[in-house]
Amino acid sequence: MSGLSLHKKLEKNAGLLIFGILFVSSIGGLVQILPVLFQDSLKTASANTVPYSAVQLQGRDIYIRESCHACHSQQVRPLLAEVKRYGPYSRAGEFVYDRPFMWGSKRTGPDLHRIGGKYSDIWHRIHLIKPRSVVNDSIMPAYPWLEDEPASAAGDIQKKMQVLKTLGHPYSEQEIEAAPSMLDGLTEMDALIAYLQVLGTSAETSEEQGHH
Amino acid sequence: MADMPNDFWSGWIVLLTAVSFIGLIWLVLSVYFTPQSETQASDEPVWDGDIREGNTAPPLWWFWLILATMVFSVSYLMLYPGLGSFSGALRWSMGHELQQNKRDYATKFSTISEDIIASSLADLQARPEVMKTAGNLFNQNCAACHGYEAQGQASLFPSLRDDEWQWGDAPEQIETSIRHGRKAVMMSWQTALKDEGVENVSDYILNGLGTSDSASHAGQAQYNLFCMACHGEKGEGNPLIGAPNLINDIWLYGGSMAAISESIAHGRQGEMPAYDTRLDDVQIKILIAWLKK
Repeated sequence: MSGLSLHKKLEKNAGLLIFGILFVSSIGGLVQILPVLFQDSLKTASANTVPYSAVQLQGRDIYIRESCHACHSQQVRPLLAEVKRYGPYSRAGEFVYDRPFMWGSKRTGPDLHRIGGKYSDIWHRIHLIKPRSVVNDSIMPAYPWLEDEPASAAGDIQKKMQVLKTLGHPYSEQEIEAAPSMLDGLTEMDALIAYLQVLGTSAETSEEQGHH
Repeated sequence: MADMPNDFWSGWIVLLTAVSFIGLIWLVLSVYFTPQSETQASDEPVWDGDIREGNTAPPLWWFWLILATMVFSVSYLMLYPGLGSFSGALRWSMGHELQQNKRDYATKFSTISEDIIASSLADLQARPEVMKTAGNLFNQNCAACHGYEAQGQASLFPSLRDDEWQWGDAPEQIETSIRHGRKAVMMSWQTALKDEGVENVSDYILNGLGTSDSASHAGQAQYNLFCMACHGEKGEGNPLIGAPNLINDIWLYGGSMAAISESIAHGRQGEMPAYDTRLDDVQIKILIAWLKK
């Protein structure tokens, strides 16, 4: 049978055509995505990676709510210029507790994967309230309302941790039990800063990276 | 994909890739090399007398283009990783390339790096290209807090242009500040001093310290009791513990009566993060030279 006669058969049989389209368009996924789901190295936490604390987790959701990820990537690529600028390149094992991860591919602002520890808490606070007061040519919007809401307002923390636990994040019952009290007295700003300060702190040293 | 889960998935990728590839070849060949008879089946619809499906072959340059992409993809999969766990004839990997780039970088700059480590700060300050690089490093790493002109800002982050160095101005002290960071803690004295004490001590710091009639000032006794241990009898400060000088008229958190009272009543916390994982020895050295200039 030639390609043309197969084509003639397909265009006259809608069911066969639908099946053919689904089959052809699934090949890419079957080759590139399916095997990765079984690749352990992508599912195993790297040595220093631990699940987010209740406060950090809440901060992460605020980060997503405010669309920080629309302008900031969280992925240091294995290129000399990036490693020199941002620090050790990002490894898959550092993101196992990120659901979803926020690698991103567009940098309107700088990459944030290695931001943890680079600036003090108070700097982040000032910068989020009024970016131009510390970086005078910054184009980042201000987020003053983060000071106004308690951290607990950004969603039911216990429910989030329960759901993540069912997905395999090793939260203990005690941790989930204590989660609301961890948020006591903190604002959304505090939670977001706690998240920013832990970002990328599980980096392997550059010597360790040399062995891969 | 050096860490493929097992041979099954590696084989799966190779097989699917090969089958799709062979399928594509068959499709292209059969479109270009189908006998006329088959394309002119009698049950085909005909328009305007002689227009029917397939009676003009697709342009030949399509064929060459498709052939070229096929040759490219086969060559690529032979040379580079992609076909299951096969790592490609070139043994290329992104990690190795980065390591190579790092080695090339180190080699390229080894002479100048050794030269910088061996040079005195004064020599480095006399080299415009080194100072320019240091300025760029400062903008990249330090300016967000200390400002693009190192002028300090936000009444929180100290100026690095003046002669006041809270943690000491010796190159070794500056190096420690950069490498390991600093945490300054001024306690809250509201409970100990009460409102009146805060006011008296603030006034003493502004108007009494270092003057001839300081002994008669109402705030001196409490200053000597609570503040002197860190800030010194004459308010000269102590860089070893990050206690700032109080008589040089440089005020990080503001020099008004109100700002000083606020500092005393509620305390201050200053933090400089550690940069030893972000900057290497050469970078730290030229930064110090730049800062001391």
